[in-house]
Amino acid sequence: MDTVLLLTPTEPDGTLPRAALEALSAARAVGESVWAGLFGARTGKAVAALSGAGVARVLSTEAEALAEPRYGSDVVAATALVRASGATVIVAPALSRVARFAAGMAERLSGRIDTHVTQLSSRGGLSATRWYYRQRIEATLVRAERPWVLLVDPGAFPLASPSGGAAPQLEEVPVEIGPELRRTRVAGLRAPAAGEQTIRPDAKTLFVAGAGWTKKQADGAPHPERAGELILGFLRASGASLGTSKSLTDQAGEGQKVLEFMSHLNQVGQTGSTPRHSRGLSTCCHGEEPHVVGWRFIRERRAVNLDPGCGWARGKADVLYVADAFAVMEKLNALLAAKK
Amino acid sequence: MTFEGVTRPSMDVDIACVGFGPATAGFLVTLSRRLADPSRPPLESRAAPGMPLQVVCYERADDVGFGVSGVVTRARAIRAAFPDLDPAKIPMATLVSEERMLYLLDPTGASRRSVTLRAADRTLRAFHRVEDHAFELPFTPAFLRKHDGIVFSIGQLLQWVAAEVMATGVVQIWPGTPVGEALLEGRAVRGVRLLDQGVDRQGRPGAGFAPGMDVKAALTVVADGPVGAVGRQLDEALGMPAGHGRREWAVGMKVVLDLPADTPLAAGTVLHTFGFPEPEIFGFLYVHPGRVASAGIFVPSWFDSPTRTSYRYLQHFLQHPALWRLLKGARLRSWGAKSILESGRRGEPLLCGEGFARIGEGSGSTNVLNSSGVDEAFATGVQLGEGVIGLLEGGHPFTLEHLERAYVARRRESWVEREGQVAEKARHGFQRGVVTGLVGMALSGFSGGRMSLGNEPPHPAEQIGSVEGFYAGKISALEIARIRADCERRGVPLHDALMDRAGWPSIPLDGQVLVSQQDALLLGGKVQAPAGYADHVVFLDPELCRGCGKRVCVEICSAEAIRPGDAGTPTFDREKCVHCGACLWSCPTRLPGQERVNLQFRAGAGGLHSAEN
Amino acid sequence: MAAFQIVVLGSVVPDPLQTLEPVATPQGPALKNEAMLPHVLDPWAGHALFEAAHLATRAPGSKVTLLALGPRQKLQQVMMAVAQKVPFELVALDGPAGGFTDAHEVAARLAQAVEKLPGLDRGRLLLFGGWESASRGAGVTLQMVGERLGIPDQFFGVDQLSVVEGGGLEILERVEGGKHQVSVCAGPPAVLGWATGNLPEPKNNPQLGMANMRGVMPALQKAAAAPVGQGGVKFESVAVPRATRETRIEKDLSADQIAREILEWISQD
Repeated sequence: MDTVLLLTPTEPDGTLPRAALEALSAARAVGESVWAGLFGARTGKAVAALSGAGVARVLSTEAEALAEPRYGSDVVAATALVRASGATVIVAPALSRVARFAAGMAERLSGRIDTHVTQLSSRGGLSATRWYYRQRIEATLVRAERPWVLLVDPGAFPLASPSGGAAPQLEEVPVEIGPELRRTRVAGLRAPAAGEQTIRPDAKTLFVAGAGWTKKQADGAPHPERAGELILGFLRASGASLGTSKSLTDQAGEGQKVLEFMSHLNQVGQTGSTPRHSRGLSTCCHGEEPHVVGWRFIRERRAVNLDPGCGWARGKADVLYVADAFAVMEKLNALLAAKK
Repeated sequence: MTFEGVTRPSMDVDIACVGFGPATAGFLVTLSRRLADPSRPPLESRAAPGMPLQVVCYERADDVGFGVSGVVTRARAIRAAFPDLDPAKIPMATLVSEERMLYLLDPTGASRRSVTLRAADRTLRAFHRVEDHAFELPFTPAFLRKHDGIVFSIGQLLQWVAAEVMATGVVQIWPGTPVGEALLEGRAVRGVRLLDQGVDRQGRPGAGFAPGMDVKAALTVVADGPVGAVGRQLDEALGMPAGHGRREWAVGMKVVLDLPADTPLAAGTVLHTFGFPEPEIFGFLYVHPGRVASAGIFVPSWFDSPTRTSYRYLQHFLQHPALWRLLKGARLRSWGAKSILESGRRGEPLLCGEGFARIGEGSGSTNVLNSSGVDEAFATGVQLGEGVIGLLEGGHPFTLEHLERAYVARRRESWVEREGQVAEKARHGFQRGVVTGLVGMALSGFSGGRMSLGNEPPHPAEQIGSVEGFYAGKISALEIARIRADCERRGVPLHDALMDRAGWPSIPLDGQVLVSQQDALLLGGKVQAPAGYADHVVFLDPELCRGCGKRVCVEICSAEAIRPGDAGTPTFDREKCVHCGACLWSCPTRLPGQERVNLQFRAGAGGLHSAEN
Repeated sequence: MAAFQIVVLGSVVPDPLQTLEPVATPQGPALKNEAMLPHVLDPWAGHALFEAAHLATRAPGSKVTLLALGPRQKLQQVMMAVAQKVPFELVALDGPAGGFTDAHEVAARLAQAVEKLPGLDRGRLLLFGGWESASRGAGVTLQMVGERLGIPDQFFGVDQLSVVEGGGLEILERVEGGKHQVSVCAGPPAVLGWATGNLPEPKNNPQLGMANMRGVMPALQKAAAAPVGQGGVKFESVAVPRATRETRIEKDLSADQIAREILEWISQD
C-alpha cells in the first residue's frame, strides 16, 4: 500500500498555491489517506487552509532561507520533509519552483520521477499518464521503485473540494541550510520588456495568431500594422491571452517589423508553451501544423481560416469559420466596443 | 548579387560537389574509398597544403534524401559499387518479386481520349478483357522490364550511402546549404557561391545578413539535378552541344501509403500503368516491405493543356477501380513531387570544362526508354570518381582535356551511353500523340534505337496549347470564358472548375488516402522553408505575366505555392514550395530572343522534410 | 571575464515536422520507423548550445563541449546540420535516445561521462542543456546529472545569462505569468536548463563546419557504447490521441454573423 505525500512550497505570504489544491485532488487519486509537506519562509496560512481538506498529517519546514526559490535550499528542505514523512509516493504541483528541484530530490531519495502527469489511477496498482513527443503520444506507465515522485501540471486536475475531517496533526521538520546552499541570491521578478502584457494564464480565452496575419491578403499586399491593431484591439477588449504559432514567432525573431507586442514567450506548441485556457480561437494558421501540439488542454476550439480544407476542418476544431480573419476581427472588435 | 562594401567570406577546398543525389553518391563512394584506403598513397590537398584532400558536398534540402521518390531500378551500377548489397539493410528496399503493366480504361467518361484509343477501349471491353476498368498486358515490354531489380526509396538509399561515406571521415556532406551559382571566370569554373542568408524575400540584406560564402575549388562537380540552378547557369553561359536542349519534361508526383493489414500485395510488386486519368499520364505503384507502397503519376510537358495539374489527377489515379481495390483502407503517409528531365541524351549538356564536370540527371544520363535514371546517374558519378582519382594520382589539373579523357571517355564507353543512344529518340512520337508515342517507344525499343517516330520537341514554352483547344467538344468557349472570369474573381486556379465541368467527379476527401492538397504538405514531415532567404521563384517582367493569359505555373504548381495574384502577376509562397521545378518548364513566355522564360527558378532553401518520399 | 568550461548535454529527437506513431517492441514502446525518421538536435538543447557558444565568445579561453548520448548514425546525421552553426567539441556515447528511455539510466551514463572529461575543472564548469526535451519532455535528466555531480546551483527555463562584475552569474528563469525570476549565482559550477533564450539561430557557416568536423568525426568513431533501457517501467498503454470532434464548417456566414457567434461564445462563463 502506497502512502502519499502532497509536497508543495507556500506562497511568500504563507498561503497555499492554487496549483497545490489541484495536486491535492491528484494525490487523493493515489490513496485514501493523504499527508502534506509544506515548505517556505512562512507556512502558517497554508497549514490552516489544509484543515478540513481531509489531510491526516501535515509536515512543515519554515526557514528564512526558503523565502528565495532556489535549487540548493529547496531540495534540502523538500528532501527532509519527504524523509520525515516516510511516504512512498510524492505528488507535487508542477510550479516552476518545484520543477526546479524535484528531479534532484528524487535522485537524493534514490527514487524515480515522472513529470507533466495528467492522470493518476490507483485501480490495480498506481499508474500515471503523461505525454511524450510534445503532446503527440500519450502513455500510461507503472513503476515498481519507491519513492515515486509525480509532478502534476496545472489545469490537469480539478481543485480539491473541502472534505471535512479533523484538523491535521502538525509536525515541524527542521532543516540546516548552510552558506554553501545560498550561493545563489534571488533578486526579484522581471516582467517582459515588451511593454504590453499579453500573456494572461487566467483568461478564459486564448487567441492564437498564425503566420497568415502577416501574409499577403486579398488585395495582394500584407497589412502587418492593421493585423497588429486588430489583434491588440481584441486582446484589450476581451481580456484574452495571446498565443502565437511557431512561424509567426520566427518572423518576429528575425527582427522584422512585425507585431512588436509579441515575443517568443507567446509561442504555443513546438518549443513554446501548452496553455490551459478553456477556449481557444485560432486565426490565420496559414496551413501550419494543426495544432494538437500545444492545444492539448484547450477544451473548446474554434478557428477562422480561409482554407476550408485545412487541418482544423477534420476533427481538430469544434467550429471552422471559412472567412477572412481581418474582416471577422474588425466586426468582433466593434461588437465588443459596443458592448462596453 | 553583390553589395557595396560587403566582404564576402571565402575559403578553398579541392573538390566541391553541388547536390547530393544518386550521382554524387556514386562519385563520393568511389572517391572516399580511395581516400580512406590506408594501403594507397595519400592524396594531398592543394587548397590546404599538409592536409588531406578537402572534399565537400553542398546539398540544398534540409537533409540528405529529402524530396526524392520511390523507384524501381535494375541497380547495376549500384550493385557493382556495393557487391554485398542486402536490401534488407536499407529501409524500404526489396527485390522485385513481380512486375505487371496495366492499361487503365476510363470509368468516369471525363478522360480525353482520341478516336483510336476509344476504339481500342471498345474492343477490349467487347472481348471481356477488362476487369475493374483495366486491361493487364500479357507481358511487360523488354525495355521496361525490371524483374532483376530492386524497389527502393531513393531517399532512404541516399541516407544510407551518405552515412557510409561520411563515416570514412574523408568527405563532408552539408545539407541545408543551397548553392546559388558557380563562380565563372570566362569559360572556367573556379568554385561555387553559396546563397546569401539573412535577406528579405527580394534578396535585400536584413537582420542577420550573412553573404553566401565563395567556396573556391579546383574541381566543381555539378550534380544538382534537372532543375538545379548551377547546371542551368552553365547551360546558359557556356551553351549546349548543337541540337541539344531541355525539351521534354515531366513532373512526378507521388505518395507513400501504409497498405491495409489484409493487403494481397506482396513486397516487391511493381505495377506500371498508362491510360488514366488522361492518356498522357503514366503511373506506377511499387510495393516496399512492411506493407508500404509508393504510388504516383507523371504529368509530361507534352500534355499540352495550359491547365495541366498533378495533385487532382493523382487523386483520380488512386481512385481508379483497379488501384482503389488495392488502396482502399490504406493511409497516406507522405507526399512529394519532382521534375524529371525526359530529354535524356538529347538534353546532355557540355559534360565537362575547365574546373568542372557534370554528372547525373542534369547531365542527360536518364534513359528515357527504360524510364531509368537513378542507376544511370550513380554510374556517371562512379565514372567521374574513377577519372578524378586517376587525375589526382597523376598530378594532373582539372582541365577540359584531362576531364574529357578521364571522365567523358569512360562515360562514352559505358552501358549508360550505349543504352542512352538507343533511347535517344524513343519518345519523340509523343509530340504527335499518345498512341504514336507508345508505338514510337516500342519501335525504338525493338529496333535498338535505329527507328523512331516523330520529331524533336520544340521549346517547352511552345508546347503549350490553349484551354479552348484542349477542351474542344467538351466545354464551349463561352463557358470557358465564364469559368475564367469566375476563377479570376475568386483568385483560384482554373483546373478544378474546368475538370469539374468536364465531368471529373469531385474528390471525396476521407482524411486517409484522399486529403486536401494543403494537408498533403503536412504529412510525413511538413513542407517548410527557413527564414532569411530570398524567394527562389521570381517573375522577371510583371508586364509579360499580365499579358500571359495562361498562367500554367499556377495550375501546375505541385504545392499551390504559386497562386493567382493581383493584376496578373502570380504570387509565390516559398514556405510551400517543394522545389519540384515544374513551373520552370511550364512558363509559356519566352524572353524575347532567349531560351529563358519569364519565370526564374533559382536556388533556394527548404522544401520537403521526408526521406522516404 | 574568466574562462568557462561549458558542457552542453543534448541528444537527437525526431524532426518536429514529422508525423509520429508508437509501436510495441520487445524492449518496450518505440516510434514506428524510428530509424527512418529524420532527426535533429533537440531544439532546446540547440538553444543551450548556441548560448554556450555565445558565452564562450565573451569569455575568451572558454571551451564548449557537446556531450551527446544517441544512436551513432543519427548523431552523425545531425552533426551535418549542427556543425555549421557554432564551434564546439563533441563527446559522443552510442546508445538509444528515444522518449521512452529511462531518464535515471541516461543521467547515470551522462554524469559518468562528464566526470571523465579530460581537464575538468569544477570551478569553471557550467553544465548546460535544454530545460526539457522534445522526446521524453520530462525536464529531469539534466537536473539528475547536476545532482549526481553534486552541483547545488541549478536553474531551469533559462532565457538569459550574464556575467556580472565580480564574476557572478545573473540568470533569468521563466516563472508563472510570463515573468522571469532574476537570480545571481556566485559563479560556477552551475547547471542551466535553457528555454529558448533570446539568440537567433546562427547562420550556416561552411568554414566553421569543416573545422568542427575534424573533431566531430573522430569523436563519433570512438563513441563508447552506452546501452540504456526503459528502467523497468511497465507501459500499460501508448497511443496517439484520436481526433474526437465533429467539426462544424461554416462557409457561408458573413463576417458580421461570424463575429456575433464568436462574441456569444467567448462571453459565456
